[in-house]
Formats: sequence, C-alpha cells, structure tokens
Amino acid sequence: MENSRAVTNTISNKKSFRRWIGSRKVQRWLILITFMTIPLILLFTFTYIPFAKMVQFSFYDMKYIGKRTFVGLANYKETFERSEIFGSLLVSLYYMGGGAVQLALALFFATMMAFKVKGEAFFKAALFFPYLICGIAVGFIFKFFYARGYVLDTILQMFGMDLEDIPFWLQDRRINNISLAATSVWRYMGQNVVMFLGAMMSVDNDLYEAASLDGANKWHQFRYIILPSIKSIIVLNLILCISGCLSAFEPPYVITNGMMGTGTYFVIMNRIAHENQRVGLASAMAIILLALIIICTVAQKLFFKYVFNDGTSDESKAAVRRRKRLEKAQRQRK
Amino acid sequence: MRKIKKLVSMGMTAVLALSLTACGGSGSESKGGNDSGSANQGGAEAGAASADAQGSEASGVPTIDQINLGTDYQDIAADILVLTDRTDIVDTVYKGYAEEFMKLYPNIKVTYEGITDYAESVTLRLTNGDWGDVCFIPATVEKSEFSTYFVPLGDYATLNDRYNFVTEKTFDNTVYGIPNGGTAGGVAYNKRIWEEAGITEMPTTPDEFLDGLQKIKDNTDAIPLYTNFSAGWTMGAWNDYVGIASNADPDYKNNKLLHTKDPFTKNDEMSGPYAVFYTLYEAVARGLVEEDPASSDWESSKGMINRGEIATMVLGSWCVQQFKDAGDNPDDIGYMPFPITVNGKRAAAAGGNYAYGINNQASTENQIAAMVYIKWLLEESPIFEDEGSIPALKGSPYPETLEEFDSVELLSDNAPAEGEESLYDDIRNMAEVLSGDYPVSEVLEAALYGSMTLDDKMNEWNEKWTRAQENFNVEIIE
Repeated sequence: MENSRAVTNTISNKKSFRRWIGSRKVQRWLILITFMTIPLILLFTFTYIPFAKMVQFSFYDMKYIGKRTFVGLANYKETFERSEIFGSLLVSLYYMGGGAVQLALALFFATMMAFKVKGEAFFKAALFFPYLICGIAVGFIFKFFYARGYVLDTILQMFGMDLEDIPFWLQDRRINNISLAATSVWRYMGQNVVMFLGAMMSVDNDLYEAASLDGANKWHQFRYIILPSIKSIIVLNLILCISGCLSAFEPPYVITNGMMGTGTYFVIMNRIAHENQRVGLASAMAIILLALIIICTVAQKLFFKYVFNDGTSDESKAAVRRRKRLEKAQRQRK
Repeated sequence: MRKIKKLVSMGMTAVLALSLTACGGSGSESKGGNDSGSANQGGAEAGAASADAQGSEASGVPTIDQINLGTDYQDIAADILVLTDRTDIVDTVYKGYAEEFMKLYPNIKVTYEGITDYAESVTLRLTNGDWGDVCFIPATVEKSEFSTYFVPLGDYATLNDRYNFVTEKTFDNTVYGIPNGGTAGGVAYNKRIWEEAGITEMPTTPDEFLDGLQKIKDNTDAIPLYTNFSAGWTMGAWNDYVGIASNADPDYKNNKLLHTKDPFTKNDEMSGPYAVFYTLYEAVARGLVEEDPASSDWESSKGMINRGEIATMVLGSWCVQQFKDAGDNPDDIGYMPFPITVNGKRAAAAGGNYAYGINNQASTENQIAAMVYIKWLLEESPIFEDEGSIPALKGSPYPETLEEFDSVELLSDNAPAEGEESLYDDIRNMAEVLSGDYPVSEVLEAALYGSMTLDDKMNEWNEKWTRAQENFNVEIIE
C-alpha cells in the first residue's frame, strides 16, 4: 500500500517535470538561453573582459611584458598634463570638417540617384568601391598620390600649373591635415551614399508624384519630403562620423607616420604604447577617449532632441512651436 | 511565471559567471605556470653560472661551447621552427642554409617562418610559450626577463672569448642570445658623387661633413643627404650614433649617459650627443636634404643611391649590401665612419644584429637541436659573407665594406653596472628621448619649419632626461 503510493508519487512527479519542461513558456526560455549563451560568451571574452583588463592596466605602470607597479591615477594625470596629447584632439577638427563635407556630398549624390538617373547601379558601385579597400591600402594609395612630383602634381601640371606653385601636400602644415582628411572622405562617402539611398528608397513614390502635381520642384521635394523622412539616418551617420573623427588613425599612421603635426589622438596613443612601451599610460588615454566619445554622442543626441524633437520624430521643433503658439492663441481667444 | 523568470535569470548569471571565472581561472593558472617556470629557470641559471658547465649538463641541455659540430648529437631527431624578420629571403637564402645544415644533421628538420612587423608580433607571441624554437630576441624583452623565455647558452666569460657582441643579451653572467653577426655604425655614401663634387678628404667633424654636403648640392644634381623621413625607423637610426661614435667611449651609453647631468648640452669640440643631432638639424635647415621628406620612400631610395641620385644616407652598415644589390653600380657604394672626432680620436660603434634565442618551453631534444643549428649558423654557414656583416666568431676577417674604418677604433658598448641592467631602457622610455623614431623626427621637423632652435630642442630633452633620472633616483655624477 505504502509502496504503491510512493511509486505513484514519483510517477506524478516525473510527469509534472516532463509537463513543466514541455510547457511552452519553459521551452521558450530554454531556447532563449541556449541561443544566447554562445554570443554572450563571445561578447564577454572578446569585448568586456579585454575592456575590464584595459581599465585595470590604466592604473599600472607597465610594459607588455615584465613587472607591473600600481600607480593609481598617475597615468590619467599625465594624460591631462601633456599638451601634445590634448593638442592632438584639435587635429580631429579637420576630420570633423571632412566629415561634414562627406555627409553633404553623400546626401547630394544619394538624392541624385533617388530621382532615377541613367547608370544608377554603376555610379552606386563606383562610389561604394573605395569603402571596400582596406584602410592601410588606401593609405599607401594616397601616399603616392600626394608625393612630390607624383600623381596629383602630375595632373595639376597637365592643367598648366607650375610645380613651383603647387604646395607640398603632406609637408605644408597649413594643408597636410586637409589632405589627410580628404582621403577619409574619399573612402567613407560611398558608404554614406548607400545608407542614405537605402533610407530614401523607403519613401513612398506617390509623395513625389503628388508633390510635383502641386508644383514642387526637386529642391522642394528634397527639402520637404526626403530630408524629413531620412532624418534619423542622418543623425545616426553624424554620430558615427564624430566618433570616427575622434578616433581617426589609418590615414596619418600610414601616410605621414603621424609626423608634421598630423598626429591624431590614436596615433599618439599607439606611439606611447608601442614605441615607448608605456601600456598603462596608453590605456588611460584610451579610456579618456572613450569618455570623450560618450560625452560627444550624448551632447549630440541632446542637441538633436532640442532642435528636432528627437531625431526620430517627424515633427521639427519649429513645427511644434508653431502648433503650440496656435493653441495658445486659440485659448486666449476663448 | 515570475518565478521562472527569476530562475532563468539566475541560471543565466550563473552561466556568465562560470564563463567569466573559467577565463579568469585559466588566465591566472597559465600565469602561475609561467612564473614558476621562470623561477625554475632562474634556479637553473644560477646553477649554471656558479657550477659552470656541469650544472647545466645535469638538465640535459649543453652550453653552446660544448657542442662539437658534425659529431655530437647526430642521433637527435627533432623538428625545429625558426622565426625571422627577413621575409624577403626566408624562402630562398635562409631555406638554403637550412638545407645545407640538414645534410650535416639529417635527423633535424629546420623550418623557417618569416614574420612581417617582427618585433611587435614576436613580443606578443613570446608571452604564450608555444611560438617555435629559435627566434631573434626582440628588443622589447628586457635583460631581466631573458630567463623567463630563453635557454641559457653558456656563461659570459667563456662565450665572450669566442663570440662577438654577446654582452648585449647577457644577464647575471649568463648569455641568452648570440647576435647574428654585427654591424658598424657609419654613413653610407656614393663614392662617385662625393668625388665629382670635388671632395678629396673624407670629413671628420660635423662641420666638414656639412661643407661636403653643400659642395654636393652646388656641384652635382644628387640629393646631398636623404633622410628617408617617412619610413620612420630610418630616423630612429640616428640614435645609434649617440653612444660610441659621438664619445669614443665604450662606457658612455650604458654607464655614463645615465649619470650625466644634461647630456644633450653643446660642447666646444662639437662632440657628444649634441653633435649627432646638430648634423641632422643643420643639414635640414640648410636645405641639404630631399625636397619633400614627407613623401620619401625607402625602397626606391636604395636604387637612387646606387645610381648616384642620392649622395649620402646615415644608416648602419647592414644597408651597404642592399644598396649594392639595388642597381648596376655596386662599386660606387662606400661606407664611412660618422664624422665626429673626440680628442683627436675617432671611434665607431660595432653592435650585434638581432640575437638568436632558444625557447625554454620547448622539449629538451628541440632545445639541443636548436642549439646545434645556431652554432652551425654562427660558425660554419656563409651567412656573414652574404649579409656583409661582422662575423660572430671572434678573429674572423671583417667584411670589405668596412675598409675605411682602418683609422677608426671599432668598439662595442660595455655592459651596464650591476643592478642597472635595465636602467638605460627604463630611463629612455620614461623620458621618451633616444627611444624610437619620433624624438629624432621632431628634430627634423624643428629644422624644416624653423619652429624651434636646436638648443631649445636639446634643452627640452635635457629636462625630460633629468625628470626620468629623478624618477628612478639615479645618482648624478657631475
């Protein structure tokens, strides 16, 4: 009697476990966990653990190999005290200027292509192509492009310019950062074009038709249909652009070795970490740069929130103000 | 539902925590292993140093001087992997050496691996023990760390009698690496151009050198001095003249420089570190270098000096063979000592190339096989003739490229004082002077843009040097 009850008990226990594990909810969670474990492990081993290590390194005076001494905040202090490190952030301004030009050009080309042009696929591919070349190769291309008496100088001479009048593209400190920023415009513009074009494709064609029936020209269509509908993509690209500018590395590293006043923050960080083997100081620099990028991104977000009522909303701040004013006027009339 | 959520989230955190600790755990374990390994090695090394050969024989690996090439260890079978930076000749010349060696030792198989970006990659690979058997010891490994990674090759006194330049990779009287021959520090030049410019006597002071460059500019079409600025490392090469060439004193770099107050100050005789950078600064300021240093190109410069489009380049003697090979006029390439005279005496630094080191994590057979191969390379292979370098074996004849060094004493830096083995590296890394390419590049920039006088630049270096000396509590001897 007792025995049989115990048996039925275990059977029902088993059954309930099987039912529990077989239930929809549990199954769903099981699948979620099994699918997420591997990506999460990868994410942690290759992103968060190295990052945590870097934070730890930034408090040490250390080389790659050899003993480490804990120095507290000394590395951070040194980063702020050294003028050449912070001065290098000014170089990023050139790249930001380049970034603005790049986005404007990309918008222009994308809009042209949005209005059905002949050979659209060819132009799209031609513009996108530079993005597929690796950054180091781009560096070498432009190293010879700008070299004295090479490609660019030869082209300019064909147009009748005297070699004497052509500046030293990489040596003249007034223009060498512009030369370098131009290479990154050349490389990344195509990618922006493709992104903008993708967003523009989602605009309903009927809108253009209706607008042209109402007498809107292409500029009006761009200003009042395209621009508002791809605002969120533009904001995203701006944010990517700014953080990319702060961490510009390949053009100065490959083309000028970071000399002649072209050393960006990243190049100097690389120099300190690898030439001088001061890994602790370089880690501290990296963390300060990360903080700067976060601050810039948040500031940008806030700016767009103020100006455009969050980059994602279709109603601009000005429109909201107009609506509010109207409402207020109505209330007063009452 | 909520319970399940809680359960699941707990499970997740457990999994994550597990994966975290797993990583951390294995990390610390391997580190522990390394540490104990190094401790053991340290012990073995101390034994080797005191008890000489017997101590090391006990561990199964002989010292390099005990091996009789061709007769010993014929029965050892091993596959050894050799890392090298010479990617250009790894599959031709170096492979040829390996094949020749394998005729002598058919049971040992030697494979080469060429690595671009050598110093950086190998530094990282060294930290996990499984990188191969023989490598060129990168400069980033400090002396105190040799025993962590490399097999002791023998004690200093014995090997120093037999080989050149062993001081550089010696710690605590034990040698961990033997340089693959050596080079002398001087200046490569095109003899024909210097003659055409009307220079009959080779310069012995910086000012005579600059006058010579001026004559070349006035009388020929060649670029008087090619800096190769944009390659970077070519600027770092100027640091090599600070020690012996500018002071004619083998104790200067590793001992005196560290204890000197303001070492970069000008002196009346125009010698010392100031004179080295004076030569560079003035050459740039007087327009005696290439028009656009930012777009200079190392590979094509080899052919240009061969054809006589470049008159002079300041680089170690290893470059001479490459310049000769780069065109049809190998006989035009000459090599002269750096133009500084100290108290009527001239000296040139002779230093070792990259040194061979053997992995101490490899199996005993591999360690022995690697040692046999290194010994063969150093003593019987044609490697030094091929590369035009000073042979590793003492008493062998110097290469003909160094014929102009007759009147000049060839010296190598003496070992640092006890307890200061890594001080030179520490101070120059801390000061960020004499380390790497950038400080020298800044001298060129200052001259090119006229943004800073040399005296200001050298004062800045003096300040940095002093700060580093203070940081390491170095005693200053006036």
